Amino acid sequence: MPVHLQGPWSFLFGRLTLHAIPYDNVIILFAFTLAAVAGIAIVLPVLYFKKIPYLWREWITTVDHKKIGVMYIIVGLVMMFRGFFDGLMIRTQQVLADGPHSPHFLDASHGYIPPYHFDQIYSSHGTIMILFAVTPILTGLTNVIVPLQVGARDMAFPYMNALSLWLTAMGAALVMVSLFVGDFSDAGWSGLIPLTELPFSPGVGVDYWVWSIQISSIGTTLNAVNMIATIVMMRAPGMTWFRLPVFTWTTLSTNIIGLTAFPVLGVALAMLSCDRYIGTHFFTAGLGGNLMLYTNLFWIWGHPEVYFLVLPAFGIFSEIIPAFSHRPLFGYTTMVAATFAIAGIAWLVWLHHFFTMGAGPGVNTFFSVATMLVGVPTGVKVFNWVFTMYRGRLTFETPMLWCLGGLFMLLAGGLTGMMLAMPAIDYTVHNSVFVVAHFHCMVLLIAYAIFGAVIFWFPKVFGMQLDERSGKLFFWTFSTGSILVFVAMFALGFMGETRRLDYLYDPHMLPLLIIQEIGIGFYGLSVLIFAWMLFVSLRNRNTSLESDPWGTSRTLEWLTRTPVPFYNFAVTPQINARDELDWRRRSGLDLSHPDRFAPIHMPGNTMIPILIGICSFGLGFGMIWRIWWMAGGGLLAIIALVIFRSFQHTPGYMLQPGEIAAMERRTAASGIIAEQPSRPPLMEAGAH
Amino acid sequence: MAPVKCSHVKEHLSKWLTWPLVGLALIPLGGCGEEFRLFYPKGPVAAAQLKYTMIDVGIMLLIILPTTLMLCLFIWRYGKARKAAYDPDWAHSMTIELLIWGGPIAIVALLAVFTYESVIETNPYDPTVLRAPAGTQVPAQAPLEIDVITTDWQWFFIYPKQHIATIDDLVVPQGRVVRLRMTSTSVTNDFFIPQLAPMIDVMPGMQTRDAFSSDGPGTFTGFSADFSGAGFSWMQFSTRVMSGDGFSSWVAGVQAGQAQPNRGALSYAVFQKLAHPTLNIGAKPGYFASVDTGVFNRAVTDALNGLTYPVPADLTEKMAPDSGPSNQRRSSENGKGS
Amino acid sequence: MAIHQRPATPDSVLWQHEAEAHDDIATRTLGFWLYMMSDALIFAALFAAYGVLDQTTNLAGGPGAHQIVHPLAGFWQTLAVMTSVFAYSLASVAMKMRSQPGVILYITIALVLGLVFIGLELGDFARLIALGDGPDRSGFLSIYFVLIGTHGLHMAFGILWMLVMIVQVARSGFTPSIVARLLNLRMFWQFQASVWVCVYAFVYLRGAF
Ligand code: HEA
Ligand code: HEA
Ligand code: CUA
Ligand SMILES: [Cu+2]
Repeated sequence: MPVHLQGPWSFLFGRLTLHAIPYDNVIILFAFTLAAVAGIAIVLPVLYFKKIPYLWREWITTVDHKKIGVMYIIVGLVMMFRGFFDGLMIRTQQVLADGPHSPHFLDASHGYIPPYHFDQIYSSHGTIMILFAVTPILTGLTNVIVPLQVGARDMAFPYMNALSLWLTAMGAALVMVSLFVGDFSDAGWSGLIPLTELPFSPGVGVDYWVWSIQISSIGTTLNAVNMIATIVMMRAPGMTWFRLPVFTWTTLSTNIIGLTAFPVLGVALAMLSCDRYIGTHFFTAGLGGNLMLYTNLFWIWGHPEVYFLVLPAFGIFSEIIPAFSHRPLFGYTTMVAATFAIAGIAWLVWLHHFFTMGAGPGVNTFFSVATMLVGVPTGVKVFNWVFTMYRGRLTFETPMLWCLGGLFMLLAGGLTGMMLAMPAIDYTVHNSVFVVAHFHCMVLLIAYAIFGAVIFWFPKVFGMQLDERSGKLFFWTFSTGSILVFVAMFALGFMGETRRLDYLYDPHMLPLLIIQEIGIGFYGLSVLIFAWMLFVSLRNRNTSLESDPWGTSRTLEWLTRTPVPFYNFAVTPQINARDELDWRRRSGLDLSHPDRFAPIHMPGNTMIPILIGICSFGLGFGMIWRIWWMAGGGLLAIIALVIFRSFQHTPGYMLQPGEIAAMERRTAASGIIAEQPSRPPLMEAGAH
Repeated sequence: MAPVKCSHVKEHLSKWLTWPLVGLALIPLGGCGEEFRLFYPKGPVAAAQLKYTMIDVGIMLLIILPTTLMLCLFIWRYGKARKAAYDPDWAHSMTIELLIWGGPIAIVALLAVFTYESVIETNPYDPTVLRAPAGTQVPAQAPLEIDVITTDWQWFFIYPKQHIATIDDLVVPQGRVVRLRMTSTSVTNDFFIPQLAPMIDVMPGMQTRDAFSSDGPGTFTGFSADFSGAGFSWMQFSTRVMSGDGFSSWVAGVQAGQAQPNRGALSYAVFQKLAHPTLNIGAKPGYFASVDTGVFNRAVTDALNGLTYPVPADLTEKMAPDSGPSNQRRSSENGKGS
Repeated sequence: MAIHQRPATPDSVLWQHEAEAHDDIATRTLGFWLYMMSDALIFAALFAAYGVLDQTTNLAGGPGAHQIVHPLAGFWQTLAVMTSVFAYSLASVAMKMRSQPGVILYITIALVLGLVFIGLELGDFARLIALGDGPDRSGFLSIYFVLIGTHGLHMAFGILWMLVMIVQVARSGFTPSIVARLLNLRMFWQFQASVWVCVYAFVYLRGAF
């Protein structure tokens, strides 16, 4: 069953040859230099200050949900930066390659990037932004917040949590490696079939795409298991279902989607791999394959996936808007119902991504109406937020600004989404940049929610607030960028600009393209301001914060000390109301912290997850380059590690009341994150 | 492309829904021209699509616009500094909650009606807008049949009755219904002429159909709308609508080998040579004075039997920079096109 | 504006001072259930794909289901799976009686029966491939091999897991985590058996008749 490969193959290195390293490509060389400088800038201080043991002990081997969440978010932000850079390159190419008389540089016939390279850029942009930027950041946020919101010590399965993180990180690492060793897929983030089949994509690009997604989505699925189990089993006493904060509800629904949708993607990609590796005929046009099967399977995952992303963003809105309206959320029950309605309908609409495939009027109408139905619960949510502000006392701190900006994005994206949902309209704008503009409104709404959430919860985790002034500047430059790029993009859609073009045939588009280029300039500025914001905040930090630094927060996570100690709550809180903190504050209750402590059982650190992560990287890299010994070795090592871990007795350790009291006092005084005490673990029997 | 007066647009807009979309079109440039192709339909199908775009947007604005206004109003009205009424507890109202579920449901129900109507009217396989309106007794001319084959990365238009074929040049007579049968030899493409014909996928081993007719003569851009690889950006074709007589004489000219560049006869063997991946920079057309019958059907069966035209590695990725004959193509791509 | 009275709050309204008791085994069981839910979706997608690719157009001139499956051959495999599940149930009973040798014995039996199952399946595969009807022959055979092979991989994984459990029970007896693992393995094994029943009905019986 060996498949025919273009190019050489050797036992030791598989398809890998020196040619795979594009040392002769100016752009990649530049990117490589950038990455190398950034890498050195990070590694050198770490070495110099001898921080490796600290990193190893406190971060890399940790099972603390907050630290894992923070690492998720860092991975996501770094990938988002990469995604932004891709966006910059896309926009610059298009503005330079408009019309037959456009200039050309470097290797290209128009613009500065030849087609195969351009196609990789937007493919990696889409893949990265959706799966390696926004997904990890949201997973990280839910990791940090949800256990605190339900009053748990940690996630249900802390070790598995670390494993999820490292699998996701290794997927991201594979994408980054593809920049310097070989190529990435050039067939779009959705893996257009049969373009991804071996005859049309003979290189390793598609394999990079497949394996990085496969590995990271196993991490996402495990995280979904973990999150659902945490919400179901780990709630504090008194935290009944209808006292759960809405963010927790959206996390629950999102992870139900994740748990059920990602396996379908896994199957689709596995079948594609079979086609590419052993010559099966799942998705080939000939010999009994069915390429529409892939398209269906992909979107059966792909559509729920976009709601997988947007629901936590809705949850974030539902936390931040009440906090800065100084009012409870309007219509809690309808909000929860709408959340699950969205998640439910998400399963019934996938065909709207290919109305143009030639299905009959009946089928198209069914999926069209089903799609429009999503507008109903989404609308309910919008109205609930609007009525939350009614008779409120709004203050416009940065988190609130991001949420309000996000609401406008939602309205614009929703209006255009509903247009696409009508097949007669979709026949004119499918695969045009109108679609691209629609979904950027939506994904930007998520980005807005993310920035709001990071700024909102930052003090809780790090014990210091981010600078408001530069934060607002960040908001306004970013929003200017969004408006300039994407309003112009809608207009280009009406001109009939197809998406994924490295050369534009119509010189009339130039004015709009220039507007977009100015917009991307604002985006670039906003990234600099973001970095400046971090710097200023760190320089002027004030670490003696109350447990609720905003003074208006409402939910449980704000009850414990700031920054949150690694054991979360010194004593598990008893829940009395939906917005527990608000209830305590307004009942005139003592908001101070408990002074009587019982021993706490904590899980110990472990290095197994990071080791499994590294082996999965080896497995992926080996499969991509068809270095069979490396792939096989990686797989065996993973199995061995899992078995080894099941033989380990890892009962964790006990914190004694005296220690807790001391640490509580120290956190309150210094505002510094407490480090875990190093301590010999317990025997298993003692833990239970 | 003659500039079109504003009044032309209005003909196609249902009256009460005119302003929102015109407004939308005006925003970006403060002016407009025919490059906003979707607003300048040149045939019944495209016009129907524009009509439904208007209706759809209009109905949705009924709810989106008030929502936006309400949002702006509340942000302005309830800012802390304005000291408006403050109610720290109110969080539930049965009336409002019924309204916010009921309103959108009503809107969606209304949209659903138009969706169904529009799907029937513009169904690419059989757009009912192309049928003669009931009652009128126009002696309908038989539709013009054209077979479309996409390769990596060119369009072949075969006129089976006329026994001619073209590359990247679609010529049709005005007013007559054109029916297309489409397939691909390689990957999936998407047939689209913004001002005339709705989009429909073109897939290997399968046949899809599309249909359109045109209001008057002109030249309109058509292209592939589904990414298909390195040469995708150059997969445009011009659609030339001619008068009936003009079309006939054009056909005669091609048959006589006068259309340049004339590539002679299109047998299946010739077609197979041309079907190998070619970056057609500048979308250069070509003409065939005669065509063997059955080229289209053989392309479909061969794809079903597993025939592919593999893309050389160096056209997609830089795996093997020196793998054989495709080098030439690569260098032609490096040279500045058109 | 509601009036909030200040309740006389004993500390216990606000804090839960008793050591928290989350049911560890129940949590692990729920977690494993959830994992199996996603596994079930893998099979659902594969069955759907089988439904799509089981048309005459997908045969590409190769053999169809009725030519390659035989209900009787599938029957022996079904028998092996079912008795294996039964043996594992006996192991569960032995676990309740805290009998180490009992558990080890019955798991070994379940394991051997699982091996028989896999052996039969590999035999089928080898025969087909020798005839030139491997997974690269046609779209239908691709999904046939991958659907059945995916189930087989799960079975192989279960067998590996049983091996590990035999060693663990022999070494450490019934610690809470080992009990939790034994329970999860039982769920896993029953789940694979029910997937096989679907395969038998959907591929073997539907193909043969
Ligand atoms: C979550 C998803 C997401 C996000 C956020 C974005 C964000 C952006 N995208 Fe993306 N895009 C996609 C998902 C996304 N995109 C997808 C799926 C596609 C389709 C791909 C395909 O066709 O296959 C696509 C395609 C796409 C195209 C279309 C190419 C084409 O088909 O012709 C373009 C063109 O302009 C584009 C531009 C942009 C721009 C300018 C942004 C900007 O909004 C970016 C703004 C971001 C920033 C400004 C960065 C902020 C970062 C920080 C503040 C962190 C900094 C961190 C450190 C310094 C450590 N995108
Ligand atoms: C987070 C991301 C996200 C979200 C939330 C959405 C939300 C929606 N999307 Fe979008 N969509 C994408 C991401 C997203 N989408 C992506 C990435 C693609 C392209 C993928 C690719 O091809 O690469 C895409 C493509 C896409 C298509 C296919 C287009 C094509 O390829 O031709 C369609 C078609 O129906 C569609 C529709 C919708 C609809 C109806 C909604 C609805 O959920 C919107 C609902 C919201 C509102 C309607 C606004 C608020 C409501 C009110 C104020 C109430 C009253 C209103 C009414 C009742 C009308 N989307
Ligand atoms: Cu033409 Cu306004
Ligand atoms: Cu969708």
